[in-house]
Amino acid sequence: MLAHAIFFYTFSFIAIVSAVMVTVSKNTVHSVFFLILDFISISCLFIMIGAEFLGMIMLIVYVGAVAVLFLFVVMMLNVSQQKNQWFISTESSKHIPVGLIVSVIIFFELIVVIGGWKYKPNLVSAMSLNFDNDISNTHSIGYVLYTDYIHIFQLSGMILLVAMVGAIVLTFKQRSGIKRQFYFDQISRERKDSVEIVNVENNKGVKLDD
Amino acid sequence: MNNLNYILPEIFISLSIMFLLILGVFKKKSSNLVHYFSIGFLLITGILIFNNSLDLNITLFRGSYIIDSLSSYMKILTILGGAIVLSISRKYLKLFKIFLIEYPILILCSILGMMVMISSNDLIVFYVGLELQSLALYVLASFNRDQLKSSESGLKYFVLSALSSGLLLYGCSLIYGFSGSTNFNLISQSINSDNHFLTFGIVFILVGLAFKISAVPFHMWAPDVYEGSPTSVTLFFAIVPKVAALTIFIRFLYVPFINVIDQWQTIIVFLSIASMIFGAVAAIGQKNLKRLIAYSSIGHIGYSLAGLAPGTNDGIQSSIVYISIYIVMNFGLFSCLLMMKRNDKYFETIDDLSGLSKHHPVLSLSMLIILFSLAGIPPLAGFFAKFYIFKSVIEESMYFLAIVGLLSTVIAAFYYLKIIKVIYFDEEKEKYDTDHSLWLKISLTSSTLLILLYFIFPSKLVEIVSRINII
Repeated sequence: MLAHAIFFYTFSFIAIVSAVMVTVSKNTVHSVFFLILDFISISCLFIMIGAEFLGMIMLIVYVGAVAVLFLFVVMMLNVSQQKNQWFISTESSKHIPVGLIVSVIIFFELIVVIGGWKYKPNLVSAMSLNFDNDISNTHSIGYVLYTDYIHIFQLSGMILLVAMVGAIVLTFKQRSGIKRQFYFDQISRERKDSVEIVNVENNKGVKLDD
Repeated sequence: MNNLNYILPEIFISLSIMFLLILGVFKKKSSNLVHYFSIGFLLITGILIFNNSLDLNITLFRGSYIIDSLSSYMKILTILGGAIVLSISRKYLKLFKIFLIEYPILILCSILGMMVMISSNDLIVFYVGLELQSLALYVLASFNRDQLKSSESGLKYFVLSALSSGLLLYGCSLIYGFSGSTNFNLISQSINSDNHFLTFGIVFILVGLAFKISAVPFHMWAPDVYEGSPTSVTLFFAIVPKVAALTIFIRFLYVPFINVIDQWQTIIVFLSIASMIFGAVAAIGQKNLKRLIAYSSIGHIGYSLAGLAPGTNDGIQSSIVYISIYIVMNFGLFSCLLMMKRNDKYFETIDDLSGLSKHHPVLSLSMLIILFSLAGIPPLAGFFAKFYIFKSVIEESMYFLAIVGLLSTVIAAFYYLKIIKVIYFDEEKEKYDTDHSLWLKISLTSSTLLILLYFIFPSKLVEIVSRINII
């Protein structure tokens, strides 16, 4: 019980502090670092209560895709450089210490989670949540996702469809005057379609169609 | 399999969305076809809902989806609203060169979201429906992306709405944490008014919902979004999402939280009073008609929320009648707005209306009737709508709410009368075009006639609505 409480409070403390840091840090790149730290702490919390599947999905989707994408966008936009000009320093090496701190904390969290793996059954049984230990996480999600929650699952698909249609509507521009390739027409062109031999009279010239 | 019959309308509309997308992509220049098809599909969906019989009361998917008289009635209102919006906005869209296949498809998507919202009996289903609806609305708001104002309104709506969704979700998670379930019926069994943290959850959810319905003090987005979006989209915004949001308001307050009515009653009274007063006062200084309509819709939402405050079936029914009549009045007003066109340019300020009566006597007369009705002058439909609300409020002896409502009606009458004065007594301007589409004329005439002749059969609508019993 005590070990459980210690784990819980450690991870939650880190999660809350890093969430606060996301909003208060003046450098956008640092904010994204803290965002990653926040996601990792939350996924550690999930793993700790026995929901490994959710924890891993959290890592893959949020840390692996969203946050890294965020980081790329922020770096591409060059917001941090602008910010740095407004505030104190001008070097981009300012990211290194914060990045180091964040990665050390992440390392520490991973050690705690992996080190505590052996004691996981004890931790889980110490909680007030009760669930079946025989079925794995992924199984139990699969059991309800396509039965009781099928309508929500399908509707999420519709939401993604709307997102796609919306993105196309807002960005797609039909440009005029573009020379497109039509392979079939180009290959099946014959000589008589494109070349015409005319007898040109003197001082008259040829009248072209276009 | 039997259960699928009950959600046939939803399945049909989602399949038709996919069919129209494929049709639009593979057939060149198919905007016209897709437009007609989507109106037809909407009407078929309406018939399917009607076919399900209005007196059902069943829950599906382990109680997370409910089909009852409230959901059927509101769904039919939503679908009719969507179909009329599509049919009267064709000319406007063509003129602004935004007559694309995506427009009707997005409207269908948001209507699907609203239908899910209306039928939801579970926090997750409700949120998914809400998100589907608003995602389509964000895109619609910035549909005319060549115009700066349209893109601005879309962005504003997106940012603020995402924030309110966050608050709503936080409220949902609090409710889930304290009651242990996301199902509305199970929540109502397991909560009691001793738990003060629960009130936080209710407040957060109400904030999110009040934002979606644009009740004061969460109304800031409405005037900008209404002004910036294309008029046909503003028409959609002003009418259809309000129906869905009002339904979910009713469901939230009267299914899971009915036992803790003393917790939320003051909040609803405050929202209602603030919206009524603000909607009346802030509209006075407006020059742009679309902004004015935004403020007036805030005021009207205040009245329909007032019907939810007493906590009785009569109150709910009066508020449903109010929103039904509000829809008819707004269709008339927007039809007038879509008729103010000269040399392929639309006008939308009050000054452009000056002396309208000289050249367009019929248009001005119907506008006069609609504006009088919006102001609540007897014997027009708007008067009856307000009458039912005040009756149900006074029956529960909430006199303060009724008095504030009456006073704000008087203030609101000022700006409606000001427009009428501009139409009838100011100096005339150039003539507007008269080559309006048939649908626009039908919409204006029928809404004017409905408003004008409502007093002959006032009991018909009330009879239909009285079948809706929530408590």
